[in-house]
Amino acid sequence: MDDLPETIQLLTTPEARAHPLFERQLQITVRDARLLNDQPWVRSFGKLQMEVTTEGWRFPAPPEEGGLRAPSVRLHQPEPAVAPQPEDVTQRVKSIRVQPPRETVVFKERLLYLLQPPLENVFSGRQVTVPFKPFPYQMEGIAFLMPRHAALLADEMGLGKTMQAILSLRLMFHTGMIRKALVVCPKPLVNNWSRELRMWASDVPFEVITGDADARRAAWAVSNCPLKLVNYEVLTRDAEIVSDEQVSFDIVILDEAQRIKNRESKTAHVVRGLHRDRSWALTGTPIENKPDDLVSLFGFIDPGRIPPDTPAKKLSSLTGDCILRRIKEDVMSDMPAKIIRDAEVELTPPQKEAYTLAEKEGVVRLNALGDTISVQHVFELVMRLKQICNFDPLTGESSKLERLVADMNEVAESGRKAIVFSQWVQPLETIAEALAHVGPLQFHGRVPPRERQAVLDQFKADKTKHVILMSYATGSVGLNLQFTNYVFLFDRWWNPAIEDQAINRAHRIGQKEPVIVTRFVTQGTIETKIAEVLEKKRQLFNELIGQNDAPPRVGMTEEEIFQLFDIGARPKRHAALTG
Amino acid sequence: MAQTIPAPAALAPNPVPERSTGPTNLGFLTVLHEANGYLGGYLVTNTWGRPLEFRLSSAVQPNRVQQILYAGTLEPYVCADLIGKTLVDKTSVPVQLVVTDCNAVLDLRLKLDAPVAWLAAKDTVPSPRPGSVIGPASNGRGTLFCHPRFPGDVSAAQELLQRLDSTFDLAEPFSRIREAIGEARKLGVASR
Repeated sequence: MDDLPETIQLLTTPEARAHPLFERQLQITVRDARLLNDQPWVRSFGKLQMEVTTEGWRFPAPPEEGGLRAPSVRLHQPEPAVAPQPEDVTQRVKSIRVQPPRETVVFKERLLYLLQPPLENVFSGRQVTVPFKPFPYQMEGIAFLMPRHAALLADEMGLGKTMQAILSLRLMFHTGMIRKALVVCPKPLVNNWSRELRMWASDVPFEVITGDADARRAAWAVSNCPLKLVNYEVLTRDAEIVSDEQVSFDIVILDEAQRIKNRESKTAHVVRGLHRDRSWALTGTPIENKPDDLVSLFGFIDPGRIPPDTPAKKLSSLTGDCILRRIKEDVMSDMPAKIIRDAEVELTPPQKEAYTLAEKEGVVRLNALGDTISVQHVFELVMRLKQICNFDPLTGESSKLERLVADMNEVAESGRKAIVFSQWVQPLETIAEALAHVGPLQFHGRVPPRERQAVLDQFKADKTKHVILMSYATGSVGLNLQFTNYVFLFDRWWNPAIEDQAINRAHRIGQKEPVIVTRFVTQGTIETKIAEVLEKKRQLFNELIGQNDAPPRVGMTEEEIFQLFDIGARPKRHAALTG
Repeated sequence: MAQTIPAPAALAPNPVPERSTGPTNLGFLTVLHEANGYLGGYLVTNTWGRPLEFRLSSAVQPNRVQQILYAGTLEPYVCADLIGKTLVDKTSVPVQLVVTDCNAVLDLRLKLDAPVAWLAAKDTVPSPRPGSVIGPASNGRGTLFCHPRFPGDVSAAQELLQRLDSTFDLAEPFSRIREAIGEARKLGVASR
């Protein structure tokens, strides 16, 4: 014991006691610690299943292939006229697509336009057959019109506004965008529209609203014909009928829309009151230069687009997207050098009466001649009737002149110049009086030769002189008027080659712009018969002889002249008549 | 619990499609692969190319796991099974032929009764899995292939294509679809 360390000796003495701290029991506590097996400490695999949703749009079903549904009423559908052949045109290959205008906000409607096939495909295939493929600028016009509820097509005269409107209508019928359409035009143009509809949209049934009150009421309210054609006068007369909400259209087109430039006229009121979904207007006048006229037109095209008292300089920004105007310089690379179109007019009632009487009496006289008849006798009757086709001998009325004045107004307003041909001088002098406001000059046999050059120089230099009136005899040879864009044949010559030479006064090598030739033809008269014969001869001339050679002695034969009338008599001797 | 991964498409029988007596409609299906994923557009037209119905898919963006798991089958699955089949099934207008400009969509044929033809662009080298050639596309814009497991589609497709106008360009509707997709994107329709 004495060997133990001193500390241990102290612990073992009776006086040693344990410290209280060493007496206390040790306490053990247990706490759970969560494992870090979820986000964000542990990244999950993510979804293994992929999902997709879709959204779809269904479009109006196009009518069944094979044409539109025919109406239940009998239609006026005479045989289509023979269409003039176009010149060779080098056309650009370009994809022309319908694009929705910016005011089309409904997505489905925008899709409908975006998903249409390119127009050049439409017209190239068998789907929409046309006599001639439209020029690229015309397809652009169609692409402009189709998606628009409000549109003004203001192409310069001769660029084919009517055709563009018709093809647009046709495509819209095909796609199911429209079911009912109305075209309103001046009375002299109803036949022209009918002819163009038969040419460009032969699968679209149409009817002309005309006749007595009952017939018109039935046509307006009962007929289910897809396309109706009416003139401004009849429309105004039937104002009460068309104001009925039952008479409504998916689209209304106004031709020569400057007719409603007077907002307060009854015609303008009636037109604005038509129940319609789309409103298009066609005019050849440079409408953008006439703010008041533009405002009036937009009262029909898109009421409310132009607020009252809008300053003229703001019109362009408000209406720019709705207006398409091309002039010849814009599209001349697309167009042929020369375009020939027939303006078919109907005789006015006095003309019709005079014509019928003269023809009847003339045929009686010719038959009474027996075998002493000569082709000269028949020729004289033909001349007499042609003169009546120009002007009524008693009243001076002329449907051709009405049309010419309207066309010349457009020509002059566009700053262009025109030549008017006739085979007689008297009509030219009458025309000069009617066209006094567009600065006519005359160039024919009654103008002294020493003054003729001055006339030509003035026509070229004077911007106020928009038309020169020429006879075939003096005007068809040796002149150079290639600054002229329009040629009107007030009456036609016997020999197509002479006509071509007259036309070529304007259409020559070096002519920078296309020339539009308008040939006036009165329907149901000797002029129509002669035109048919001349067309056949023209085709033969073009095939065999060519355009650049001297005109051959091609005219109507004696038998062809006799066949113009119902004449049994024939002369004993026959001779060919040359033009 | 493990997620179920869809099994690969099973082989469907090889029927010869029956000749339809109703109007002939065509379907044009394309799938775009963009930064935000795969986006499909499907246009149904009549034989003149006029639109009857259009359907758009939402964007499908496979995540990393899906890309790894599906590996080489990802694109055909997304394009054909997922997007293509959904688009066709949801469309109300039936079609007699589906044309696609995407090789990956060709497997849609395994899910459909109608022939599916791939319009391979002129300079495209066909995949290592060549299908049967239906014929050259119109206007020399490429070659049409059908699915290799459905050689009977060749005659069916040829017969259908003969009903089309000779000027019908089979490649052209795809540009319309792409333009419509662009328009949808502009208006925010595709992200709904």
